[in-house]
Amino acid sequence: MKGAALLVVALAAVVLSGNGYLMNLVVVTALFALPALGLSLLMGYTGQISLGHAAFVGLGAYGTAILVRATGLSPWLTMAAAIALTTLCAWAIGWLVFRLRGHHLAMATLAFGIIVHVATVEWRSITGGQDGLSAIPSLEVLGYRLGSDAAILPLVWLACIVAMLLAQNLVRSPAGYAMRAVAENEAVAASLGIAPERIKRRIMALSGLYAGLGGALYAHYLGYISPSPFDVGFSIKLLLMVALGGFAGIWSVLFGVFFVVMTGEALKPLGQYDVILYGALLVIVMIWCPRGLLNGLELLWRAIAVHARAARTPG
Amino acid sequence: MTELAQYLASGLVVGAIYGLIGIGFTAVYNVTGIVNFSQGDFASLGALAAIGFLAFGMPLAAAIAAAVLLIGLLGVLIERVAIRPVGNDVLRGIVITIGVGVALQGIAVLIWGTDAYALRAFSGERPIDLGGVTVPPQALWVLGTAAALMALLYIFFMRTYLGKAFRACALNAYAASLMGIPTRTMRAVGFFISAFSGAIAGVIVAPIAFMQYDSGIFLGIKGFVACIIGGFGNPIGAALGGLLLGLLEALATGYLSSGYKNAIAFVVLLAFLFVRPSGILGELEDVRR
Repeated sequence: MKGAALLVVALAAVVLSGNGYLMNLVVVTALFALPALGLSLLMGYTGQISLGHAAFVGLGAYGTAILVRATGLSPWLTMAAAIALTTLCAWAIGWLVFRLRGHHLAMATLAFGIIVHVATVEWRSITGGQDGLSAIPSLEVLGYRLGSDAAILPLVWLACIVAMLLAQNLVRSPAGYAMRAVAENEAVAASLGIAPERIKRRIMALSGLYAGLGGALYAHYLGYISPSPFDVGFSIKLLLMVALGGFAGIWSVLFGVFFVVMTGEALKPLGQYDVILYGALLVIVMIWCPRGLLNGLELLWRAIAVHARAARTPG
Repeated sequence: MTELAQYLASGLVVGAIYGLIGIGFTAVYNVTGIVNFSQGDFASLGALAAIGFLAFGMPLAAAIAAAVLLIGLLGVLIERVAIRPVGNDVLRGIVITIGVGVALQGIAVLIWGTDAYALRAFSGERPIDLGGVTVPPQALWVLGTAAALMALLYIFFMRTYLGKAFRACALNAYAASLMGIPTRTMRAVGFFISAFSGAIAGVIVAPIAFMQYDSGIFLGIKGFVACIIGGFGNPIGAALGGLLLGLLEALATGYLSSGYKNAIAFVVLLAFLFVRPSGILGELEDVRR
């Protein structure tokens, strides 16, 4: 809770500063943090890899956009429907893919992600193909349109902080221990009366819910969506964010998201070459700091401190 | 009837490519236990490197040889720098090879941009008529090279000292190390074979199919599907699986619609993963619960 309070203070400072560029980055961070948190619950705590998480974000975004354009209902309603649909879809995918593990699970989820991306490109009558869908209405609260960065910032961060607190609660609960038991050893978990399959499917559904929420908010925030932000590259970016956060860790994953968003901004002048750094970062983090970038830096700092102390002590 | 033969011919050509990439997967998987998610990038990089050397004014054969060797050494370098430090952790291995693939694609963008290139055909463009079936001469090059490479690899694995040591290491690395086989060297050999055959696959198909920085993703997935069909870890299975996938794709493209071409690979992948994850030949424990 203390962390959340500090976060709110920092966010308030950003809003008060009135810096539009900074506010935009902060909103984007929250929108990426939601799917990244979902992926962390699945990969970090339950030990199941997913290389298709961008698809769930895309399903949430396209779901609400298509519904709101077709029915003209309130965006809140279509958002809820799209998120429910994404959750259900994630559960069903979980039912299908969790009979596999390891490399095969990774490839199956990668294939799922590509299939959804290809569908958003090819199914032009519904998704608008490469042109995407535009004129998606903004969300409204009490007649007040949440169109600008400053207006949507409190909402996306409220969603993000609630999601973080809920996730934190979950991983500290008995269910959280069951998740980690499944990640360690399924046979042992099953012998303790935990049903690994059920846990995995439920976490997949929850993970899909987080991703769908992020996608739906994204669609109403931008007012325009196209297939390219939901491609395999985005799934890999989510993977990088979670890896930088050490996979398991609600706050450290938020740091990972923030780090990737900031690096992305810093590398903008490089254009498409930024992927070299993302790839290299992924390799470096996995080799030297498997528990996250912060943890790795902390260990490095300690090693340097010990070294320095040894150098100071005579003899 | 000629229509069917035409589809079968083009299916075999594409299938040979998938088979070679699939063999690359097995060469790494058998000694390291890692599925190299950047496998397809060896093919696209090999083709692009050959195109690059050619543009420098090297003769075609020299350009190809240089490109293929370069990519083979790149594979060894990747094993040394990125794969060896993590050991046998499956999840970390997957994430690292994905990172390697992304970095390789980034480097390809840096050098060649995002344009698609084709390599010059090895012996002209004039189609050859084989009893009603017309094929480009390059198709024969693809089939011939793939068959020759597979035969060479077979002889290498079954007849040579190094190949036998490699197979021993794949069966049981610990026991092999007790017999004095340097398992680390074998891992490097696995990566060399994998990158080398991947690059050859890319080079021989480049005159027929355009190559760009991210062509490797689809090639890699299809090579993986070839392995799944044949049974993961079985090189002969991978070759057969590749041919089968190529034929299925060609038939689906011919009789259904070209839009289904890429979908076929995924449908086959999912069907095999769920119904018969051990493939048509292989025995693979630990895939299923």
